[in-house]
Amino acid sequence: MSLLVIMSLLNGLTLAALLFITASGLTLSFSLMRVVNLTHGALYMAGGFIGVSVIKVTGSWLLALLAGGSVMAILALLEEKFLLRWARGNDLIETLISLSVAIIIGDLVLVIWGGYPKSIEIPAMLNGVLTIPLINLVYPIFRIFMLGLSVLIIVALWLFLKKTNLGVTIRAGVDNFEMVSALGINVRRLFTVVFCLSGFLAGVAGVVGGTSMMLVVGEDWRILTLTLIVIIIGGMGSLGGTIVGALITGLIYSFATAYIPEFSLFILFLPVAIILSIRPHGLFGAKA
Amino acid sequence: MQFSNISKIAVVLVSLALLIAVPWIASDYFVMMCIRVMYFGMLTLSLCFLAGELGVVSLMQASFFGISGYFIAIMQTRYQIPFPIPPLVGIGVAVLFAALTGLLVIRARGIYFLMLTLVLGQLVWALASQWASVTRGDSGITDIFAPVIFGISTEKSKGAFYLFELFFFCAVIYFLAALKRSPFGLMLRGIRDSESRMAMLGYPVSLLRYMAFIFAAFVASIGGVFFAYFTGLINPHSVSLTTNVETLLSGILGGIQTLFGAILGTAILKILDLVLSGITQRYLLIMGVLFLITIMFAPRGAAGALKRLWDGFASRTLGSGSPAGGVSDDPFYEDTK
Amino acid sequence: MKRKSWIIAITVILFFIGAIAGNAMALDEIRIGTIGPTTGWATIFGQGCLDGIKLALGEYNNEFNGIPIKVFSEDTKADVEVMRTKLDSLKNRDKVHLIIGPSLGHEGMAAVDWGARNPEVPMLIGYSAPEDITMRKATNSVIRPGWTGAQVIFNFGQYSAKDLGYKKVIIVGQDYSYPWDQAAGFIRGFLENGGEKVERIWHPVEAVDFSSIMAKLIAMSKEYDAVLNNSGGAQVVAFFKQWKQFGLDKVYPQILGQANVPIVSMLSELGDSAMGVYSSLHYYDGNPSGANKKFRESFKKKYGTYPDVIAVQGYDAVHVAFKAMKAINGQVDDSKKFIAALRQVKMSADESPRGPFYFDKFANPVQNIYIKKVVKKEGRLMNEAVKTYTEVSQFGPYADMADKYMAAPATTRDYPPGDKASYFMEIEKHFGKDYVEKLKKNNGWVD
Repeated sequence: MSLLVIMSLLNGLTLAALLFITASGLTLSFSLMRVVNLTHGALYMAGGFIGVSVIKVTGSWLLALLAGGSVMAILALLEEKFLLRWARGNDLIETLISLSVAIIIGDLVLVIWGGYPKSIEIPAMLNGVLTIPLINLVYPIFRIFMLGLSVLIIVALWLFLKKTNLGVTIRAGVDNFEMVSALGINVRRLFTVVFCLSGFLAGVAGVVGGTSMMLVVGEDWRILTLTLIVIIIGGMGSLGGTIVGALITGLIYSFATAYIPEFSLFILFLPVAIILSIRPHGLFGAKA
Repeated sequence: MQFSNISKIAVVLVSLALLIAVPWIASDYFVMMCIRVMYFGMLTLSLCFLAGELGVVSLMQASFFGISGYFIAIMQTRYQIPFPIPPLVGIGVAVLFAALTGLLVIRARGIYFLMLTLVLGQLVWALASQWASVTRGDSGITDIFAPVIFGISTEKSKGAFYLFELFFFCAVIYFLAALKRSPFGLMLRGIRDSESRMAMLGYPVSLLRYMAFIFAAFVASIGGVFFAYFTGLINPHSVSLTTNVETLLSGILGGIQTLFGAILGTAILKILDLVLSGITQRYLLIMGVLFLITIMFAPRGAAGALKRLWDGFASRTLGSGSPAGGVSDDPFYEDTK
Repeated sequence: MKRKSWIIAITVILFFIGAIAGNAMALDEIRIGTIGPTTGWATIFGQGCLDGIKLALGEYNNEFNGIPIKVFSEDTKADVEVMRTKLDSLKNRDKVHLIIGPSLGHEGMAAVDWGARNPEVPMLIGYSAPEDITMRKATNSVIRPGWTGAQVIFNFGQYSAKDLGYKKVIIVGQDYSYPWDQAAGFIRGFLENGGEKVERIWHPVEAVDFSSIMAKLIAMSKEYDAVLNNSGGAQVVAFFKQWKQFGLDKVYPQILGQANVPIVSMLSELGDSAMGVYSSLHYYDGNPSGANKKFRESFKKKYGTYPDVIAVQGYDAVHVAFKAMKAINGQVDDSKKFIAALRQVKMSADESPRGPFYFDKFANPVQNIYIKKVVKKEGRLMNEAVKTYTEVSQFGPYADMADKYMAAPATTRDYPPGDKASYFMEIEKHFGKDYVEKLKKNNGWVD
């Protein structure tokens, strides 16, 4: 039984890793632009499907990962430049625009890739299981890789926000938006960069998720809901909060599926209600 | 005001007379469409009432709609409880649920409200699809039969069902319109436009918002009663995100701030659904594009309304570091002023 | 205020033009309505059925005895409320003579509910498999040239216990009525033929991360012999993927699948991990019969891919309809006659890709059930039949106790019980002592 506990723990952690990669992009764009980008789930799904096609043509998983991320970054760029900018300042309208874009992308994916579930082959290097002899535990290498990748992304984001000029400007923009624009910094460019980055992370997450699990039309809303749970628990706009939110969500989901699978979904939503009734802006969210 | 009172009353009376005459002059098919538009209309009305009066977009109105439907289904098929009780209990439970969730969401504003209601709506959906011993899971509950009223079976006669529903539909519209005109409605609009001022003037801001939320849920739950009775079944789809998004879509299409817009939007959406179904499989794509165009280019309808209600929000958050200060970029800014 | 009133007035007028217009009705054509999800996530189910329907109609040049056939295709969006509206549209607006569809389980239940309220429209159910459509809720006008969830799997339970020799099996499935029915059918066949225990693990319908379940399966592997995957569509892909990822293929023998786990469209996605999977269904793609070859090749020619069992349902439905129309000389206007003729149709092995079948008194086919195994043939994965059970009705081995079967409690996520002792107590209660004695004497079912 204790083996099941250890495995559930590991499963929770690795699922949290995937959730973090997805949610980090969303929380980043939210913290700067106050837009809940409801397209995020659709970008995840479309990114994954791009990965499916790229790997079919080139056979390289790394290329698929980068392509999925890049194409989604471009898509996010187009969305930001041509649609969201139109309603800048009206965050509710921006959110509704992103909702309609999500519906459109969802249907386009169905047109291009069809309604059958697809999945991405695990690259040979990451295939197989890791055996820990002492406790007789076997665990898939790819899931450990997912954990590593998310740590890498956390570090990269941290370095980017703390050490680069652009990152510092973004952080300043999050804290005090008027000040940054008053200083003559090109705010529009800042928005575009952040939105691109957010799209890139969604696409990358899609390829990783499609490799570890699968992809199918309808996946967009499932992922969006999970992602929203993560950032609502963690507090919107806080990167640290997102890590905590992803951990809580991942662990609850994994333990609930292992022990009470019939009610796993319900149990997933319950902490959201509890946390919100105590802290309306999430665990680490600042009051807007 | 320019329109004289007499002609206004005349328009209302003639419209009412025509509406009542529908079962006698129109085909069964048309009556059925009207019935659908009315129950979905009540759902949209509840969403538009919140949007218009509180300035928030809710993605959980279908939960109240579904809860009353589910309670009718469970009480009728499982315990054979006679007619007037199941719908009353259903509405009661839905309102109670609104009173509970209202405590959670009412402090939230703008997108926080949207996200919170989305998650709570999904919670209800998760319960409906996973609590299979009660809700029968994804297959849902069938065999709900519409009641007999004044000796006429509304199950067998679509016309009778139509009139039965029309009565409540008109009552709901009257109720919402009266609410909007009442001091309560005026206070709500005051809060929407400037919450801090209203709070300073000593109005119980939170309580008023809370009550509006419950009223909206009440309206949605009445729609749910007719939904369950007419379709004879209920399943998790009725409380799903899809239903919530479609309701929002109806509201946006018709103009989210008015009651008339809510009904018009519902009618447009439901008719489009039927028309497009035979022609193309790209229903969702067309809906998405339509949605996008309406939000972006229809200032008088949807966007104009949102802009106006959003102004209240924007001006409140202006001082607290929101980028909402960039109003000059706003394409609707000129239109509405 | 004035403008608003005008808008309302105009709307009301338009509303009435709409109310009075319509009702144009053409003669001299046979109108067939099809219904199923053709947009959104469930597209493959509705579209597959529709493709089969169109293929079969093409074989008849879209006419019957020179009378043109007009098809009205409606989309349900996998939503039963929409479906009911579309059914009403087909009936009242298009005045169809026959409806073919729907394809999903919950749609089927809603369709039979509608059918009971509209008994004058004959309906041929597509891919929907809940048994109540043609059992407890059966209605005269609804005929299913398809299958029920339990029908196709009773014998698989038997096969797993007797031929594969498993004693204890775990079923992992999606938590809704179709997999419950599948599990119930399997349990009956398995426990009544020597199996000892079946454990059921239910997960949310839309679950995609199975890692926790894999962990559980590893922990349970000491006690249990095999795992039966009881999901559909995307969940199958995710399950097989993680099954391999967690190295479970080294812990258990080859996985068992419920009816539509290794269907054609899945095989290309599952790849070699599907090799050797056992399952059972009323159709298998490797069937060498002429009817199946013709069906597969003409389907491939028309649509570019090989067909699934979903398309078989649409294809067979049209052929059943044509046979009935021949029997009544095309008098489809007389719905009573048409329905009666439909219920009497008997298909031979030359006419249906699945093999011969005819309808029982509840209008569900009595047909062959094939135990299939996934093999590689001509470089492609394919299902081959390893054993055929002929003339299986929806009641399976209980065909002569249909009333008792229907009177027994409905299937739920944990009914019937999964361990031998309590299961036998249940069947003794519902099927009688004699039945239990007979089982013991014959050591299971008699083939």
